[in-house]
Amino acid sequence: MGNSSYRSKTGGLIDRSQTIHFWFDGVRYPAHPGDTLASALLANGVRLAGRSFKYHRPRGILAAGSEEPNALVELRTGARREPNTKATVVEVFDGLEAFSQNRWPSLKFDVMSINSLLAPIFTAGFYYKTFMWPAALWEKLYEPAIRRAAGLGRASDDPDPDRYEKLTAFCDVLVIGGGPAGLMAAVTAARSGARVILADENFNLGGRAIDDASVIDDQPAAQWVCAIEAELDQHSDVRVMRRTSVFGTFDGGTYGALERVSDHLPSPPSGIPRQRMWRIVAKQTVLASGATERPIVFGNNDRTGVMLAGAVRTYINRYGVLPGRRAVVFVNNDYAASTARDLVRAGAAVVAIVDSRPGSTDAVRAVARDVGCPLLDGAVVIDALGSQRLKGAVVRNAAGSTETLSCDLIAMSGGWNPNIQLTTHLGGKPQWSEQLSTFTSGVLPPGMSVAGAASGEFSLKGAIVGGAKVGQVALTQCGYQPVDCAIPSAISESAAMSPLWRVDGGRGKAFVDQQNDVTTLDIELAEREGFRAVEHLKRYTTLGMATDQGRTSNVNALAIMAELTQKSIPQTGMTMARPPYTPVAIGAFAGHHRDKHFKPTRLPPSYAWAKSHGAVFVETGLWLRPSYFPRPGERDWLESVTREVKTVRNSVGICDVSTLGKIDVQGPDAAAFLDKIYMNAMASLAIGRCRYGCMLREDGILLDDGTVARLGQHHYFVTTTTANAGKVFQHLEFCRQWIWPHFDVQIISATEQWAQYAVAGPHSRALLRKIVDQPFDISDQEFPYMQVGEMTVCGGVQARLFRLSFSGERAYEISVPARYGEAFMAALLEAGEEFDACPYGTEALGVMRIEKGHISGAEINGTTTPTDVGLGAMMSRKKDFIGNVLGQRAGLLDPDRPTLVGFQPVDRGQRLRAGAHFLARGVKEIAENDDGYMTSVAYSPTLGHWIGLGLLKRGPQRIGEIVRAFDPLRGYDTLVEVVSPVFIDAKGERVRG
Amino acid sequence: MVENILQARSAFPEFSLSRYHQLTIAVREHITMVSLAAWDGQSEKVQSVIQSIYGHSLPQRPVRVGGMEVSFLWFGPDRWMAVGERDGGRDLEENLKRHLHGLAAVVDHSDGRAVLRLSGARARDVLAKGLPLDLHPRVFKANDVAITHASHIGVLLWQVDDAPTYDIAVPRSYAHSFSDWLLDAAEVFSAI
Repeated sequence: MGNSSYRSKTGGLIDRSQTIHFWFDGVRYPAHPGDTLASALLANGVRLAGRSFKYHRPRGILAAGSEEPNALVELRTGARREPNTKATVVEVFDGLEAFSQNRWPSLKFDVMSINSLLAPIFTAGFYYKTFMWPAALWEKLYEPAIRRAAGLGRASDDPDPDRYEKLTAFCDVLVIGGGPAGLMAAVTAARSGARVILADENFNLGGRAIDDASVIDDQPAAQWVCAIEAELDQHSDVRVMRRTSVFGTFDGGTYGALERVSDHLPSPPSGIPRQRMWRIVAKQTVLASGATERPIVFGNNDRTGVMLAGAVRTYINRYGVLPGRRAVVFVNNDYAASTARDLVRAGAAVVAIVDSRPGSTDAVRAVARDVGCPLLDGAVVIDALGSQRLKGAVVRNAAGSTETLSCDLIAMSGGWNPNIQLTTHLGGKPQWSEQLSTFTSGVLPPGMSVAGAASGEFSLKGAIVGGAKVGQVALTQCGYQPVDCAIPSAISESAAMSPLWRVDGGRGKAFVDQQNDVTTLDIELAEREGFRAVEHLKRYTTLGMATDQGRTSNVNALAIMAELTQKSIPQTGMTMARPPYTPVAIGAFAGHHRDKHFKPTRLPPSYAWAKSHGAVFVETGLWLRPSYFPRPGERDWLESVTREVKTVRNSVGICDVSTLGKIDVQGPDAAAFLDKIYMNAMASLAIGRCRYGCMLREDGILLDDGTVARLGQHHYFVTTTTANAGKVFQHLEFCRQWIWPHFDVQIISATEQWAQYAVAGPHSRALLRKIVDQPFDISDQEFPYMQVGEMTVCGGVQARLFRLSFSGERAYEISVPARYGEAFMAALLEAGEEFDACPYGTEALGVMRIEKGHISGAEINGTTTPTDVGLGAMMSRKKDFIGNVLGQRAGLLDPDRPTLVGFQPVDRGQRLRAGAHFLARGVKEIAENDDGYMTSVAYSPTLGHWIGLGLLKRGPQRIGEIVRAFDPLRGYDTLVEVVSPVFIDAKGERVRG
Repeated sequence: MVENILQARSAFPEFSLSRYHQLTIAVREHITMVSLAAWDGQSEKVQSVIQSIYGHSLPQRPVRVGGMEVSFLWFGPDRWMAVGERDGGRDLEENLKRHLHGLAAVVDHSDGRAVLRLSGARARDVLAKGLPLDLHPRVFKANDVAITHASHIGVLLWQVDDAPTYDIAVPRSYAHSFSDWLLDAAEVFSAI
């Protein structure tokens, strides 16, 4: 079969001067540039393309575009293996490898086709019924068996090797579809100077004018299309996007589009993405997406060689391929009868035109006369014969008698369905047109108009006139002046049709949805069992739920349901389409933002220094912070962290705390504003002093804690926790703008401006003395605990010094402009050499705050009140503040609420686990006896054993009691002693030095 | 006392200048940025102070006024961002603080923002890969300002000239992620 035996001598838009080769199921075939995989297979006489989803029936090629339900193939190998690709849209390149799907061991002999014999159990809703019992077998037996038997292609297990891009484009007029209507709309808008984007899912423009080899302006359509394309290229504000599917309509004139940049190449060239995801924002949109031909439902209508008539013309005219040599043309309309002409012109024999309409029409009679074939009017094809290759058509004539016509191709047409999916994405319901016997668009998305076949205008002339008109309206809406231009001449073909939803009397299964293997019997069953509403029909039978979203099946199915229920089609209704119109690879949605790039990473000012000093990093939100700084010889993290803690407690350590949120609060009402925000007083804070503060949510629950420094009469500088920096800023901004707009206060984020380092430990002042420039006095007298001051360091670098402590030691936080952050870290460590100073990370930071009983995110967890964490006394009774009123609710004042205390294991050698629940000794391990849980644990280097903080029911009253820390999740059950949450320096003397 | 002036580190240590076909991406290292937020009822006074000192009338919509030495970007209602060349000192911040004392909150962002300059015919094509704004010359012109996002990162962007040239300020901690995206987006233009 190596020769292109079904290729015509001339014609088509393929490049016959070049021959390329592709592989299908391991066999090498020739093709020409410009072929799709489907056209190349047909040219080589390959009809069988795959096996069906449920029954594994042999399937061929039904269509020539993105509506194809059958010819789904696996493309390429290795990491680029891609399943369920429509052979009808895949462009052949030299070396392309494709594989049929859903067959074993081979396409021609498939073991699972036995499913066909089991059809009675695979009917509609089969998996709801057949495998109900015994339920235990579902996961082990039924589901794996069904998945193996019914799955389609296989995705690659390897990471996607390609790059994807995600872009935004703007235009005045977006034209969707590059057929005659779309081209006219685009060129009309372009001539007026409008910014135009024309997107077409095919690799060349022209739509059905090319498929039908039409004549426009007395020249071949292909020539006319070329001229229009050339003109569009001349306009700098026009972008023509080929291989681009507009797949979704979204709010605000926004459309999603997928551009297949490199899918037609063996692999994307360097730097070029495989696909681009476009977000197109358009003032006006012209939907010129054409129409999809309706198959006719008859017995064995899924046999290879049964093809849509329009697809037959496409293969002949666009690709120079003859899909069969002896054809029966089976139609219910005038338009499709012309297929007979194209077939004969291309060298095929037309056995008969079968027109379901009694008497047929003049137009069809003319075709039959021209091609010299019999016209059987009032007749229908009731069965296709043959298994893997079509052998004939059983035709029932008007008188009711049947005859068999020998043929290898049935070109069928049940009329056309306008492609109005994009009009329904925002909720516009399709409307039934009695005149056209099809659904047309209902309420359109704002700014959208419809032209050509998509609007139900099926004639070429109508498409051209309509496209120009709609383009003119669109450009005028955008504020441009229309330019007069001639309308190209074209014929106005008859599209007269009479609906034919299904043919009864056939022996074989009559398929409605070929991709999901849904037959007329399934629809009848759904009707009998009460699933009559279209949405129920869809879900019960899975009709229209395959990758093609029922483009060739939905209308037939609901028309059949309408017949069964004796309702009209509008009464039966139509399902709505959802994005995407055609499948979109997940990688295209992600674009650049995959793996580590999924979210941005924020680097603290000392990042590069820390990295070069061997830090192990931890992700805290978007930040990458040093977790600890291992030294050679240290066996594990605990040893490093223990060393870092001991260094701080005994000498001095340095930690980058720049990630804390920093907010500049300025204005005449800054003090009054902060008094409302914080639960404790801030207006009374003296200039040059700092204070620890907590803020509550409106409902009385803790929101965040931090420090407030007063730099001037009208100038405060507040810090937040790293995790809540964004949330607190938002909260302050909301309060300022909406709750107290009369407060004259400004809030400015300063988080990024400052590199801020904690310098903690008994030697911290001595170290800083070497750093802070001489004129500035940082003696305890001048710079006591909770002091703040502006000064310079390292010979003139602007700095702010805060005497704050999170570790419980004498400590400072010192900040310099962020650009000096890296050098400043090095300078601090250099100055600290004589004290054996070390950098410490978030682990040591956490250990020391637990030793001191300071709360953190584990305790400020969205469920705790200030009283719960031992800060009840801090709440001001002299002023109002956010959370004050709702914090007085009975449930929040309940003395039984779990309250912060400390814990240590009775057996000091045991480890503690955060998350363990507390139980009184001797009670059953049930939820009713739950007394709270451990929030934070750490190994305390200072005490030499594990310690914990936790929320225990009436905790402070139970100090000294032994309770169980019960952790069924990880299998731990430890006796712990309830102690004060402050494990070291209970009197707080060390911070003052 | 340690006797050295600290070395400033670029927010973009990986590169300072990248050239592509019809596109240049350069780090603007010596830029200084100071935000002004007028206190209630003081907006007009702030405007007249700026007018008398710098000779620029502060904009009331998202545009930039001024010249090479110092310019003022609209940064919200009664808010502006002063942008200037940094000569090593804090002159701009200190001048503004001195003259606007009691009239506006003046906050230095010279270290908080990292600035890149994109220039050339391909600049719009690169930015389209992450910036959801219409930069068409009829829509967004020289001296227009936008507070938006690019590649999931908040940015302040202004158009410098019709080349077109854009300056983009990102929060310093995001500089690495931002340039990572931008250089990746620009890569294709080195191949052409």
